[in-house]
Amino acid sequence: MSRLFLSFFLPAYAAGAIVGATAPVIGSFLVQRRLALMGDGMGHLAFAGVALGVALGVAPLWGALVVAVAGGVALEWLRSRRMLAGDLSLALIFYFGIALGAVVLTAIGRFDASANGILFGSILTATWSDVAAIGALCALVVGVTALVYKELLAVALDEETARASGLPVERLNVLLLVMTACLVAAGMRVVGLLLIAALLVVPVAAGSRLAHSFRDSMLWGVGAGVSSAVAGLGIAIGQGDLAPGGTIVLAAIGAFLVASVVGRGAARRHPRGAA
Amino acid sequence: MHLTAELAGVRFAYGAMRILNGVDLSLSAGDFVVLAGPNGSGKSTLLRLCVGLLRPQAGTVRVLGGSPLDPDVRRRIGYAPQGLRVAASLPVSVTEVVAAGLAKSKGWLRRLDRRDRRRVNGALESVGLGDLSAECLFELSGGQQQRAILARALVGEPELLLLDEPTTGIDQSARPAVAAELRRRADAGVTVVAVSHDPDDFHQVCDRILLVDRGRLRQVTHEELHTHIELGAAQ
Repeated sequence: MSRLFLSFFLPAYAAGAIVGATAPVIGSFLVQRRLALMGDGMGHLAFAGVALGVALGVAPLWGALVVAVAGGVALEWLRSRRMLAGDLSLALIFYFGIALGAVVLTAIGRFDASANGILFGSILTATWSDVAAIGALCALVVGVTALVYKELLAVALDEETARASGLPVERLNVLLLVMTACLVAAGMRVVGLLLIAALLVVPVAAGSRLAHSFRDSMLWGVGAGVSSAVAGLGIAIGQGDLAPGGTIVLAAIGAFLVASVVGRGAARRHPRGAA
Repeated sequence: MHLTAELAGVRFAYGAMRILNGVDLSLSAGDFVVLAGPNGSGKSTLLRLCVGLLRPQAGTVRVLGGSPLDPDVRRRIGYAPQGLRVAASLPVSVTEVVAAGLAKSKGWLRRLDRRDRRRVNGALESVGLGDLSAECLFELSGGQQQRAILARALVGEPELLLLDEPTTGIDQSARPAVAAELRRRADAGVTVVAVSHDPDDFHQVCDRILLVDRGRLRQVTHEELHTHIELGAAQ
């Protein structure tokens, strides 16, 4: 029984752990740049991509990926030319993506339970081929981040000084948004498009309570992301009828609260004030 | 001696507000120049033109033998903007901030190695932060944060240093050490341009004081600068 249980849910745990580990890697740069809501905008856009993909007979993952990448590039193009204020451009994308997705899905008669899975995740039905696709996207995100880590960090810390040093800031910004789009597409199955932004942000926030550097904050965030995904999934499976996307995000918020208490206690025991 | 920066007839305006009105300036290797002048006179604008963040509306700007828009020229410049521009969203260590100054010069796909870490530590030592390298930037005092930003400009061993108010927030007692470090760099052949509000910060170590006055540069003595500031305060 337990072997059957394990073999049935193992792909779900694998997919959750992979996305839980990868989201804070890219989320750290978004949070440092005060673009924490970018994942939300991308998720909403990706919903339109899924709908267009269904209409055109393309797998939802790839529809979401293509539209989110295109949206990210367009968003950065508008932002860098100061054609839209940051929050206004995000709001436009939020509403456009969700509205277009809803219209397309209803027009083709597919606004059904599967739409719920897209918005809030359907990790329990993940297969090993889903895990392979999710793993490939996440490996791409982690690999590219490792290759350009120092450049992305320089831009995240101070965009103007990075530009003055000769770094191609606009291209690095586009790269960051493309990687965010990949993560959103990969996480769609795990927690859904409405909650994927939480995995980008909440574990990073938890990590920041325990760290004194960007790198340590990211690593703690990865730990919080993986443990939240595994714990949240375990709770959902154990209870039987809870939405795994919701339990994973609530577990991440729990990790944030624990990290806040532990971090505050550590700061009291070992104050590191200015010399 | 070859010129490290050459500005000829540079004009710049923000909208209808003219800031620079025909600036000419030649700097050679090893020059240490202080830019002085009241708020809004164009000191920071001049630095931003030299590092390619702004483009002149008339005239020419050449630095290190090329255009400041050329990334290969820019990576040979050490630039410290005014104030701390690092957002306190996440914890960031002092080492990480300073190492960011090597991101371009190190080159793509190359990780920072032991030699780079030595350079980071050397830059931190030179501004008196050697023992605070592992600390979170936001837990330091304002003056220590400013010194970390200065170390970021120094770490790439640039040929031209453009520093906007590098002593802001730094204790009066610690400022001579910063001035001496910049003089040492100039003696080694680095061209140093420092914007300063305080006429006493660098006058003992710099070669020239240039006052940005009504959109142009005018060389003044330390005493003339004091007089100018007192007259400005009296008006």
